Amino acid sequence: MTKFARPLALVLVAALFFGVTGVTLAQDAPAIAPQACAEPGELTMRVWDENWAAVIQESIDAWVADYCPGAVVTLEVVPWDQYWTLLRTNATSGDLPDVFNVSQDRFFFYAENGAVLDLQPYWDEFGVDTTLWGSGMIDPYRWGEADDLYAAPVNWDTIVVFYNKDMFDAAGVEYPTSAWTWDDFAAASAALTDPANDVYGSAVYSEYQAGYTNFIASTGIPPVVGAGRTECTLDEPRSIEALEFLQGLYAEGYMPSVSVMGGASATDSFNFWLAGRVAMVTNGSWSLPTAIEQATFNWDVVQLPRNPETERTRSIVHSVGYVAAGNSDVPDLAANLILYLVSDEGSAFFANAGGVAPANPAQQQAWVESFGDTTVNIQAFVDALEDSQGVTVFDEIWDAANTELVINIFDLNVSVADAVAQACGFIDAQLAAQ
Amino acid sequence: MTAFLDLFGKTPLTRRRAYWGLALVAPNVLGLLFFFGIPVVLAFRTSLLDWNGIRPPVEIGLGNFEHLLNDPAFWNAFGVTLKLLAVVIPIGMVLSLVVALMLNRKLHGRSFFRVVYFLPVVTSTVAATMAWTWMFQPRYGLIANVLAPIGLQDLNWLTRPDLVLFPIAAVVIWQRLGFDMILFLAGLQAIPRQLYDAARMDGADGIRMFRHITLPLLSPTTFLVLILQVISAIQIFDQVYIMTARTTRGGMNDSATTLSLFLYETAFTNSDLGYSAAIALAMFAITLLLTVAQITLQRRWVYYESGSE
Repeated sequence: MTKFARPLALVLVAALFFGVTGVTLAQDAPAIAPQACAEPGELTMRVWDENWAAVIQESIDAWVADYCPGAVVTLEVVPWDQYWTLLRTNATSGDLPDVFNVSQDRFFFYAENGAVLDLQPYWDEFGVDTTLWGSGMIDPYRWGEADDLYAAPVNWDTIVVFYNKDMFDAAGVEYPTSAWTWDDFAAASAALTDPANDVYGSAVYSEYQAGYTNFIASTGIPPVVGAGRTECTLDEPRSIEALEFLQGLYAEGYMPSVSVMGGASATDSFNFWLAGRVAMVTNGSWSLPTAIEQATFNWDVVQLPRNPETERTRSIVHSVGYVAAGNSDVPDLAANLILYLVSDEGSAFFANAGGVAPANPAQQQAWVESFGDTTVNIQAFVDALEDSQGVTVFDEIWDAANTELVINIFDLNVSVADAVAQACGFIDAQLAAQ
Repeated sequence: MTAFLDLFGKTPLTRRRAYWGLALVAPNVLGLLFFFGIPVVLAFRTSLLDWNGIRPPVEIGLGNFEHLLNDPAFWNAFGVTLKLLAVVIPIGMVLSLVVALMLNRKLHGRSFFRVVYFLPVVTSTVAATMAWTWMFQPRYGLIANVLAPIGLQDLNWLTRPDLVLFPIAAVVIWQRLGFDMILFLAGLQAIPRQLYDAARMDGADGIRMFRHITLPLLSPTTFLVLILQVISAIQIFDQVYIMTARTTRGGMNDSATTLSLFLYETAFTNSDLGYSAAIALAMFAITLLLTVAQITLQRRWVYYESGSE
């Protein structure tokens, strides 16, 4: 036996070491184990993503059957456009659903007003080690003096560059690798631009999570708002450097304007890419199913280009969260359902369905494998997690950071200095008001 | 008691009739009361509160109105609304009158054209506005193509603060045209034909007849159209909301934020329900003022044939 002890120990150490990077965890001991509910009852639950509804319903059914027989869960799907308005109306009249989804930028409003339940006592009770989730996924869901964790992360999505391989071939440009830098990216953007055919090289500035903020993050600072949510970071030299780099590409005609794409959202630039009008676009893992289904050309994904000085490639990471209503009649039951949904067992439903990457690290490999024998480099999304930046913006400054800054720089040709001064003026005032 | 019953009629028979009448109008009256009357009263009440909808409201007296008068965002929205009013109303009224005059003539396929001009009124505002949004896309949109020969294909209509109100006014006018046209048509057809025959006998030409017969006799209709136009223009919302939704809602630097949109954002983005109620009441006051002013001024230019006014 002793003969094998040392090699075995080495293997174990190696397994632990690689486990920590977040790709795989030991499969035998579940990272998060569900528990039987104390007492069944009735629950309402609300989500916005129709693509998830069927998967969530499946996992809810499994929870009822295996852990909480007799419980009744009413699942509502409210599309994103109406989701937040309806939620606020419900919060006003005191009838929020028992369990619902929130995004990191909008969580604050509900936490601030005591509308969501503190889940920390339940994590302690259930013995869940919350550090198994990346800090970018859960830090934005912490609240209060003790930094309690109020939400359970459903999923994660990171940002990569989607590129049209046919256009690279036609222009004789080599496919990018994860080692590429801003300079390589700029050179490719120039080479791929074809004004005669109305084709642009890249479109990478649109919208907070998928856009310019990733380039700021790779310089090493939190984009838009600092980590402590005390100050606007857009006017810092490194932010300005990143924005001027991107505005340079736009000014050269390598990137389309907001008006040409017809909108300032990441969906607008992604649709522009799907239509074959631009060779490279930044977008998140949530767009994988659309790209697989709708792209009529050969394509692949690659990690974001590295900042030449820091040599870092960084992605904004976002996790949708499950929260329970602060005034729920059945808080214990709501917490138990949430525990199940994010457990290894419950999140396996998501992983195997292939759309959404579950937050639970034990399920990441299953998610990658759910895409089958695709030629698309799905692993790039997982690799992007390694050096990622959590969300620091919030509802009230969304437009200032997301659309007004972007339109000023990439549509109205306002100088970066003036645009960030305007944005920071507004953002700092909002931060001071909080 | 009898005095009260007398209100419904002097005899049992007339009273019974009155009861029937009351019963028949009751659904409307109750509907109006519940869905209009009570909310209006609540709006007055809410306007005196500092309330985000979730925390308990705080009484602040007239604080919201004080804030309103000193809020540059409110005055900006007021200015945007006035600018839209100034463009939409004159152009809209002249165009709808011109179309009504054309379609009042003996014209081949007249009914067809009337339907065509009326179609935008019954078209979904959302769908139509989306289509218009595409038309205003620079470089590739229809408008850009039309303007390309004079080098204006790259105008960013929807993001430039100095241009954004034009596309919005265009949709509003286009969609409103058919409705005003129908009102004008009805007005035109009510003008007695003999007047024109008599004028023609006296040797009047078309322009004189238009000036001295059509315009004066059409003035009650014109007045009605004007009042309705003002009321609806103060409430412009959907077109702005949709046309600027994909760039930045309300236009860059709020250059297209109308009073209605300002109210909406105050209530549903900023969760300031008390202040939004105060904005609603201010809009009501503005509408009321403009309408009263028009009714007062109408004596100078509206001609009622029956002589009752």
